Amino acid sequence: MLSQLMQAGLSPNVRSAPLTGGEPVEHWTEEAAVVPQHREHLRVDMVVREGEAVAGGAPVARLRDHPEIALVAPMPGRVAKVHLGPGRQLHEIVLFRDAGGDMRRHDTEAAGAGDGSALRALLQDSGLWRQFRARPFGRMPAPDAKPAAILVMAADSRPLAPDPLAMLEARGEDLMWGLAALGHLTEGPVYLCQRSGPALAGPGAVEGRLRLLRSGPRHPQGLAGHQLHHHHPASVAAPVWDIHAEDVADLGTLLETGLRPALRTVSVTGPALSEARLLRCQDGAHLAGLCHGLTVPGPHDLVSGSALDGHRAVWLAPRDRQLSVMTHHHGAPRGHWFRNALSRAARPVPLIPTAALEQALGGALPAVALLRALSAGDDETLAKLGGLTLLEEDLALADYVTGAEPRLSALLRGALDRIAAEEGA
Amino acid sequence: MMRGIWDRETVALLLLAALMPLALAWLWYGGVEAAGRLALTLLVSGLWHLIFMLARAQPPSFAGALTALAVAMLAPEDLGIFRLVMGISFGTVMGELVFGGWGRNVVNPATITLAFLGFGFPAAPWPDFVLPVAWAAIPAAGLGILLGVISGRIIAGALLAALLAWAIPGGAWPASLEKVLPVAWIGLVLLVCDPVASAATRPGRWGNGLLYGALIALFATGWDGGAPVQITVSAALLASLAAPILDEAAIALWRARRHRALARKTEDTSWLT
Repeated sequence: MLSQLMQAGLSPNVRSAPLTGGEPVEHWTEEAAVVPQHREHLRVDMVVREGEAVAGGAPVARLRDHPEIALVAPMPGRVAKVHLGPGRQLHEIVLFRDAGGDMRRHDTEAAGAGDGSALRALLQDSGLWRQFRARPFGRMPAPDAKPAAILVMAADSRPLAPDPLAMLEARGEDLMWGLAALGHLTEGPVYLCQRSGPALAGPGAVEGRLRLLRSGPRHPQGLAGHQLHHHHPASVAAPVWDIHAEDVADLGTLLETGLRPALRTVSVTGPALSEARLLRCQDGAHLAGLCHGLTVPGPHDLVSGSALDGHRAVWLAPRDRQLSVMTHHHGAPRGHWFRNALSRAARPVPLIPTAALEQALGGALPAVALLRALSAGDDETLAKLGGLTLLEEDLALADYVTGAEPRLSALLRGALDRIAAEEGA
Repeated sequence: MMRGIWDRETVALLLLAALMPLALAWLWYGGVEAAGRLALTLLVSGLWHLIFMLARAQPPSFAGALTALAVAMLAPEDLGIFRLVMGISFGTVMGELVFGGWGRNVVNPATITLAFLGFGFPAAPWPDFVLPVAWAAIPAAGLGILLGVISGRIIAGALLAALLAWAIPGGAWPASLEKVLPVAWIGLVLLVCDPVASAATRPGRWGNGLLYGALIALFATGWDGGAPVQITVSAALLASLAAPILDEAAIALWRARRHRALARKTEDTSWLT
C-alpha cells in the first residue's frame, strides 16, 4: 500500500539536453527586475527613483497596504526603469547591475534570539516574506497572519527541476537555523518534505514539532499541494504556508550573518537549447541573459517555471527555480473554419476517466469527481473534496495529460477567486 | 505550456484498439452475416453523429463505433433492418447524443439500445456465442487495462463475484449460471467497463464489478427462461445505473476516513471544515 502510494504519479518526458551533474555555475545577469508573481496584484509605493543607486537587498518599493513588506533589490545596482500600472500596480522595476556595489546588512539580534515579531519584521524587510505562499488561494500571506502549519519543500518532481537535496548539501546548519525560526511563526507542525535518503533534520528539531514527509520520484508527488492534501489540508480558517527549502536555508544564513544570500539555484533546460545548465543567479534574473549562447537557432519562448506549469516571461518569477526554453510555435495552424467552430462549440471538452488522469492527480484523491466538480463550476463540492489545498501548478499535469480545454488550472483559479470573494478573504 | 494528446478521441481510439481481438474473433466466427450487421450499425450510428454535428455542432466521435460494435454483437437476431435501425437510433440519440456526446452520457448507449430492443421485441431470439469469442475477450480486457482505458478494478470485482458464486455452493457453479458466464464475460468487457458510464472512484469500481457479478448470479439462478445475453444486458443496465450512487458512497466513505485519520494525526480538529 505504502510503496504503491510512493509510486503514484507520472514522469512526463520533456525533451532537453541532459542536465550534467556537478556544481552549479555562478551567473549574475547584467539586468534583473522586481516583478510580481504571475497574476499577482501588488500595489506599491516607490522608495527609490529612476537612476538612483541601490545596495543589494535594499528596499526599492513597499506595499501600499502593508508598508512593512518591502520589495528589495536583487543585486547592487542602479534603478533603470520603473513601470507601474494604474493604481500603482507593479509591472516591473528594472535594475542594472553594479558589480562593485555592496549588499545590505540586517540587524538580526532580536530575531535570532527567538522574538517572533522581530523575526516577522526581519522577513518582511529582507524580502524573504515573498517566498511564502499561503493556501488556500496561493497568495503572499498578510503580515500578521498565523499559519496552522508550514511545509518546507526539499523535493521537486517537476520535469527537469534542480534537485533541492543538492542545493542543501553543505547548508545543513543554515537549514536547521531556518527551520527553528519557522517554528516561531506557527504554533502548529512544521513539515519538511524530501525524497528518500538521509533525513535532513531530526525529529527533535523545531521544539519537537518537525514532521518529516517522504515524497516519491514521480510527478506530482514533489509538489506542496499534493503533500498537504495528504497530511494537512488547508482551509480558510486554518491556512497552511509553503516555502522552498533553499529559502529556509537562506533565512538561516540571514539570521547567522545578517546578509541574505542573493543567489538561488536555477536549472536552464528545454527543447530549444543546445546545452542544459545548472546556474546560481539572482532573483528576477533576465531570462535571456541566463540562456545567452545556449539556444539553437530559430525562434523560441522563454518560460519561467517548468514546461508543465510555467509562464512565458522576461524575468525569473519570484518563486521559480527553472527556466524552460521552448521552441516557438507560430500559434496553432488556422485549420478549417468548420472544424474550429466544432471544437469551440464543444467546450468544456468532456473528461474521460482513464488511469492516466487518476495518476496525474497522484492517485489518491477522487480525481474524476474533483475534476467534474471543477468543470461544472461546483465550488462547494470542490472544497469538500480538498480543492482548497490545491493551486494551479497541482493541476498542470492533469492539463497536460487530458489536453483539457479550458485548462483545468484556469478553472481552479476561477473557483478559488470566487471562493475568496465569498469568504471575504 | 506543453499539452498532451490524451483527449476524448485518443481514449476512444485506444478503447477501440483494445476491443479489436474480441471484434475480430467475432467477425471470424460470424462470417458475412456478422460483417453485414456491423456495417449496418456503424452506418446508423455514424449517421446520427453526423446529424448531431450539423444540427447541434457536436463533434462526431469514434465512440460511435464502440456502440455500433457492441450492438452488432449483442442485439437480438431476426429483427429485420427497420427494428434494428430504430433500436440503435433510440440508443444513440437518447443514450448519448442528447446529453452532449460521449463523455457526458450517463449510461452506455449500447446498453440502452439492447435493453430497448429486449423489452420492445421480447419474441426475437438472442444471439449465441461460440466459446473462442469469449476467450478473445481476455486479451481485449488485458489490452484495455494495459492502456489504462479499462479499469482493472471493475473486472476484478466481477471476477470476485464469480469466485464467490463458485465457492458458496461448494466448489461448483450452478448449471444455469455456468451457461451464462461466457456471455456475461463478453458483456463485462463490452458494456460494463465503458470508462464513462461506470463508476469513477476506486472503491466504486470494485462495487460496480461486484454488483454486476451478483446480478448475473441472481438472474441466472432466479430468472426462468432468460437467455444469457438478456441476463447480461439487464445486469449491465442495472450496474451502470447504480454507478453514480456507488461513487457517491465511495466519496462519503473517503471523506469520513480522511476526517478521522487527519484528526488523529494532528490532534487538533479546528481546521477541519
